[in-house]
Amino acid sequence: MERRRFLEAAGGALAASLAPRPLLAQAPPAFAQSADSQALVKRATRGKEARVGKVKLDLPLLADNGNSVPMKVAVESPMTAADHVKTIRLLSERNPEWEMAAFHLGPYSGRAEITSRVRLAGSQRVVALAEMSDGSYWMGTADVTVTLSACVDGTG
Amino acid sequence: MAARVQLPKDIRRGQVISVQILVQHPMESGYRLDADNRKVPKNAIRSFTCRYNGEEIFRAEMSPGIAANPFLQFPTLARESGELEFSWVDDAGERGSHTAPIHVAA
Amino acid sequence: MTTRREFLKISAAVGGGLAVGFEFSEAGAAQAAELTPWVVVRPDDTVIIRYARAEMGQGSMTSTAQLVAEELECDWSRVKVEYADTNDQVRRKRPWGDMAAVGSRTIRNSQEYLRQAGATAREMLVAAAAQQWKASPGDCRAERGVVHGPGGKKLSYGKLADAAAKMQAPKDVKLKDAKDWKIAGKPIKRVDIPATVMGRQFYGIDAQLPGMVYAAIAQCPVFGGKVKSVDESKIKGRRGIIKVVQMDDYVAVVADNWWRAKEALKALPIEWDGGKNGEVSSESIRQFLKAGLDAQQDVVTARSDGNVEQGLSGAAKVVEAEYFTPYLAHSTLEPMGCTALIKDGKVEIWTSTQNAEASHATAAAVAGVPLENVRTHRTQLGGGFGRRGGSQDFVRQGVAIAKQLPDGTPVKLLWTREEDTQHDFYRPVSLIRMKAGLDASGMPVAWYSRVSAPSIIATLLKLPLKEGVDPQAVAAYADQPYEIPNVRIEYAQRNPHVPVGFWRTVGHSQNPFMRESFVDELAHAAGKDPLEYRRAMLKEASKERAILEATVKAAGWGTALPAGVHRGVAVTEGYGSYTAAVAELSVNDKNVVTIHRLVLGIDPGYAVNPDNIEAQMQGSAVFMLTAMFWGEITLKDGRVQQSNFNDYRMMRLREMPKVEVVLAPTGGFWGGIGEPGQASIAPSICNAIFAATGKRVRSLPLKNEGFELA
Repeated sequence: MERRRFLEAAGGALAASLAPRPLLAQAPPAFAQSADSQALVKRATRGKEARVGKVKLDLPLLADNGNSVPMKVAVESPMTAADHVKTIRLLSERNPEWEMAAFHLGPYSGRAEITSRVRLAGSQRVVALAEMSDGSYWMGTADVTVTLSACVDGTG
Repeated sequence: MAARVQLPKDIRRGQVISVQILVQHPMESGYRLDADNRKVPKNAIRSFTCRYNGEEIFRAEMSPGIAANPFLQFPTLARESGELEFSWVDDAGERGSHTAPIHVAA
Repeated sequence: MTTRREFLKISAAVGGGLAVGFEFSEAGAAQAAELTPWVVVRPDDTVIIRYARAEMGQGSMTSTAQLVAEELECDWSRVKVEYADTNDQVRRKRPWGDMAAVGSRTIRNSQEYLRQAGATAREMLVAAAAQQWKASPGDCRAERGVVHGPGGKKLSYGKLADAAAKMQAPKDVKLKDAKDWKIAGKPIKRVDIPATVMGRQFYGIDAQLPGMVYAAIAQCPVFGGKVKSVDESKIKGRRGIIKVVQMDDYVAVVADNWWRAKEALKALPIEWDGGKNGEVSSESIRQFLKAGLDAQQDVVTARSDGNVEQGLSGAAKVVEAEYFTPYLAHSTLEPMGCTALIKDGKVEIWTSTQNAEASHATAAAVAGVPLENVRTHRTQLGGGFGRRGGSQDFVRQGVAIAKQLPDGTPVKLLWTREEDTQHDFYRPVSLIRMKAGLDASGMPVAWYSRVSAPSIIATLLKLPLKEGVDPQAVAAYADQPYEIPNVRIEYAQRNPHVPVGFWRTVGHSQNPFMRESFVDELAHAAGKDPLEYRRAMLKEASKERAILEATVKAAGWGTALPAGVHRGVAVTEGYGSYTAAVAELSVNDKNVVTIHRLVLGIDPGYAVNPDNIEAQMQGSAVFMLTAMFWGEITLKDGRVQQSNFNDYRMMRLREMPKVEVVLAPTGGFWGGIGEPGQASIAPSICNAIFAATGKRVRSLPLKNEGFELA
């Protein structure tokens, strides 16, 4: 970068600017490893598909290392005796153990929300899979780039 | 395996509260190297349970995919005063437990 | 052109920057239209092509823009390349994908979405023109920054940009065939070079902010050691000293200028606790690796074909050798450093980084702020070579020091050359045992290699290894292309306390030297020409064979040479490209090596900028010749013995031999450029030295084998 352009970046006086546009279909691929989250899900459900929705998994976009990454998962549910979340599972594409954790809840939980810190063996898509009291499965995902591992990631 | 528990200050009956616990445990990944660059064997808390006056209100199965010194925050419906009892066991078969009083205002 | 002095004045005028800096995305939106995250068009027809990765002289800033411009059909003379902003990257959820310039993969991994971005923007411009003319987009075409329509109508991109930005992005775009390229594939002048040669280039080290203070750093000379005590009283009252920062494993002095900080640090008594690593030496490391060669335990198999024992026992002849390569430092001309400013819970950093996202995430983690509150200012790198990617130690330190200062105080951390040499993440040391069995005709029937070496992935990245194998440690063995029925490659991961990291060409910076030298040994044992020997082991249709043939043809292998001049050859694959080298040299009676000619061939699949590829191949020769003649980091009392360019020598201008580049792209794949060029150089030189002297070089650097470069 030339000094002049640096100034633009630093000072903003001359910088071009740009309201964010929605992502294009042609955006860079997130993770080569994430081709099929359903495959992970089916391993966990023994063949059943999960619908995308109801589950919100929060992980930071970037983590400088994968040792301790803040994680929050919440599932929409009234948490009544008739309609509640039984289990929330965290599934990993890249960890040596693909089943990271399973959290068992019930109507006594009041709401379905877990916060923890996870360990990630490199950039990957993490899947949160909720099993409902009616036997249905719902899922949400989050992509995390563990920046330290960029050197050995094919893409990312 | 010491633990620290945090509960909200004023708890009322029927309120959904967040229970926070931090357990001191390395949750060894099995691929970490020690100071001499040798692999440390895998050792994680595999099973964690919380009972509220004897009744199970939360259970977790874990792996080294949960970070060292595992921190868990989970919800429960406050019913009455009493005790929360936490217990866990790791790959080495070592067990840990912790109790915390819970005060529920009517 | 802004002079340094003016820059300082203007910097002062714009103030501390955070407030201004964080708003710049909303300002002046009317002046430019973003068609895709990669393409911005201004009303004056300037086309801004964003660049996500790092530019450290490898040229990708230009070649990626060529790929975008090719599909965009813009006027190259109106193109400006700008770094994508890391704060936008976070807020907009990574529209630019990977920002790391590592693994020779910028082009390889991004070519498709970059070309799609160019084509997408072009289609949007054409659609905007068609809409304005009430014509069919099919009747309009884009050429050199202008859309042409029916009846000779035309509009420049600048006039169309606003409307185009509102068009729906097409779902599918067709990409051009390489044979139709007009901008890509051409030896276009690099966009970064004018600023570099005119001294206008802005490197991380050039960051200058109003009210800035300076930090000098001393890290525990024994890796893994700690600070025991610091006697601050000894520097009390020294001019300009602001603060002594004591951390677990380093001490920094902050002052009103860098010299004062550095001198005070020198005068500051620091007691270190090196622990038991204080006893480690190069000799003890060598013994440790040697034990790995003989060990029965903690050894894994990286590749196994057929039965090596049977192959060896049935062989007419068995050849055995041990090869060694040392630790190497990156020695970037610009030492490590980072300028950091923490103010009101926001962090800005200026640093030369190969992975801006890693710097960004590190700054956020150390400062304890959300990613959205950080901006990593991009600059050109004064050399990278892998040092500034996988480890962000300099950012960690810069932000940690800033945290110790009053809010709003910008601080520039700058390492000395000595710190830089002694606190690197070094190219791993490696000891390798080779064994091969030859049949009656002299061709190998069994090949065995055991690599005893540290793992970068396990120690630096702290990631699990699949089956215990670090692919970099066994690169060029586990994937060797020769047709040999019985092969076993073993890996003994042995990690001394010396930190290791990615050094340009990584495993391929050392393993091809060993593999290709050993193939030469086998050819010699079989009494065969080394080229014919390789030909016999490579499939006729292989890419290795093709680049070998192209290179030896250009070198004139087999033609008569002047008396005393000898040739050596090698072929390697790596980073998705194929390379070969032929060295022509003579060695006098004092073991002074004169390299008359170095012919370097590469097949990168597609050649996006041939001139830049040639430059990278030449640069690879500078880098590898330097390393192979003089490069070694040695240890005594747990510490690195080298400190500066007097004892960690660089090649001089007059020592540079003539390098001829054979660029032979065969198409159909995208290979890397920045690193593969180094791989074949060392073995071609050492094989030529053998041809000239009969001495087989099995250990580098050459200075330790008694050889000098003329």
